[in-house]
Amino acid sequence: MRIHSFAILSVTALLALSGCANKKNKQYAGVDGDYVSGTPLGERADGANFMGANVQRGLYAPVQFAYDSSAVAPDQESKVSAVADALKGSGKTVIVAGFTDERGTQEYNRSLGEKRALAVREALIAKGLKANNVQTVSFGSEMPVDPASNEAAWAKNRRAEFGIVK
Amino acid sequence: MIRPSCLLSLLAITLLGVSLQATDAPTITVRKSDALNVAFTGIGGGEGALASKVVQNDLTLAGWFALVQPGMASFTVSGAYAGGVLQGKVAKGGEVVLSKNYSGNPRLAAHQFVDDIVQTLTGHKGIATSTMAFVSNWSGRKEIYLADYDGSNGRQLTHDNALSVSPALTPNGRRIAYTGYQAGYADIYVVDLGTGARVRLVKFPGTNSGARFSPDGNLLACTMSKDGNPELYVVGMGGGARRLTHTRGAESSPAWSPDAAEIIYSCDETGAPQLYRISSSGGSGRLVPTGFGYCTEPSWSPDGQRLAFNVRSGGGFSIAVMDLNGGSARIVAQGENPVWGADSRHLIYSTGGTISLLDVPTGKSVPVISGLGKVTEPTWSR
Repeated sequence: MRIHSFAILSVTALLALSGCANKKNKQYAGVDGDYVSGTPLGERADGANFMGANVQRGLYAPVQFAYDSSAVAPDQESKVSAVADALKGSGKTVIVAGFTDERGTQEYNRSLGEKRALAVREALIAKGLKANNVQTVSFGSEMPVDPASNEAAWAKNRRAEFGIVK
Repeated sequence: MIRPSCLLSLLAITLLGVSLQATDAPTITVRKSDALNVAFTGIGGGEGALASKVVQNDLTLAGWFALVQPGMASFTVSGAYAGGVLQGKVAKGGEVVLSKNYSGNPRLAAHQFVDDIVQTLTGHKGIATSTMAFVSNWSGRKEIYLADYDGSNGRQLTHDNALSVSPALTPNGRRIAYTGYQAGYADIYVVDLGTGARVRLVKFPGTNSGARFSPDGNLLACTMSKDGNPELYVVGMGGGARRLTHTRGAESSPAWSPDAAEIIYSCDETGAPQLYRISSSGGSGRLVPTGFGYCTEPSWSPDGQRLAFNVRSGGGFSIAVMDLNGGSARIVAQGENPVWGADSRHLIYSTGGTISLLDVPTGKSVPVISGLGKVTEPTWSR
């Protein structure tokens, strides 16, 4: 049993190293190995509330997403760069808030919104921000930019916003 | 050839306004003769009127009984309420099969009486004493509310004035967990409903949400992102977290098996969300094949036999029920967030901003919460 688990682990590690990790196994959702699937989050900024007065929102354009996707598309990279360039070396903390459109059930949307926020966080880290200075929160389908129920509104609502902790 | 029982099911589904697809072959059917013939002669006594009304409604909603005239009945239900005590009686001909006193307000006493009737006559646990929790935007913000299973006795639990969502009750209904945003992030709070004491139990960096109590009420399964990806964790009442899943997808909506050994959850690792099954002590998640391309919010029936979950079909969301021992999933209603009741027979779910109670074998659906703003994410004790 032990050997078996180790074998699976090794295969996973090999797959990850060789860049073939996106060849998905249809039968298994992950394996029991402790590989890191993202950069662990640092301690939260004390008292910072994305919706509160101590966080400045709306300074930077939100990153938009395709339906059911949490990938930062190439045409959205410049928005991430703008934030990274402005904050690099400042020591300031940014909170990335993930949102979804109204379709999908509530708890799945919270999880998907968090995945979007984390994807943007990884992009910010890749562009030079310190991992401990980038926090995330997901609001799921709450607080839509456009409350209408149509494709245009849904596209606007699938987003990650930036809030700078004052 | 179509059997009469199939026709009945077809009729029930058609009445519900559910479109039938080729894969939705009905597998569970109940003929009228399956219901026990019961006569209810009312609750007497000076203060019996309310108790009588509640017993009548509970017997109707229970699903196990056909209410008939005394001459046609196998069992006769009667009682008297006076001085804060309901004396309940069930007789089979001249033989008394249940005789018990229930003290308390008429509503609660009536619910307890009917749960005892269900247990005595069918051997199943009843739903009449269940507490329901749900989210409503009635006050302008989303807050957690509680009500009896039939929608009566509604009350607002949280006044956080932030976002309070995703409620979960312990099976005995004494504690509730929910996701609250009042600290700026999504954290999991646990409230003791007896004392009102509240603990901010899970407050790791990132988003902590979607808590579901283990059958004994001592553990929570939930989604957390502290390690850089939304994954499932199991948390003790001391707050320590044990990681359960390791994937690149977004996990959500854990549902415990009745013996607490396994958890079924939703994960979108391969694209649209699918259901997976994992040991609650860890390991690998195995795909639960459903035949649907988009599945979320699973609920495991307390008898362990069936799974209810959300599927996306066409533009809307439907509720599907599947036998875990084999058999295809079938659509039973239009709506979201199905949760099994104590009897493994009823589901509560949200639809169009209201909450309905569905009797799965008969397909009968009754709205229980409406007109209280937009209500979502229902759950109930078992």
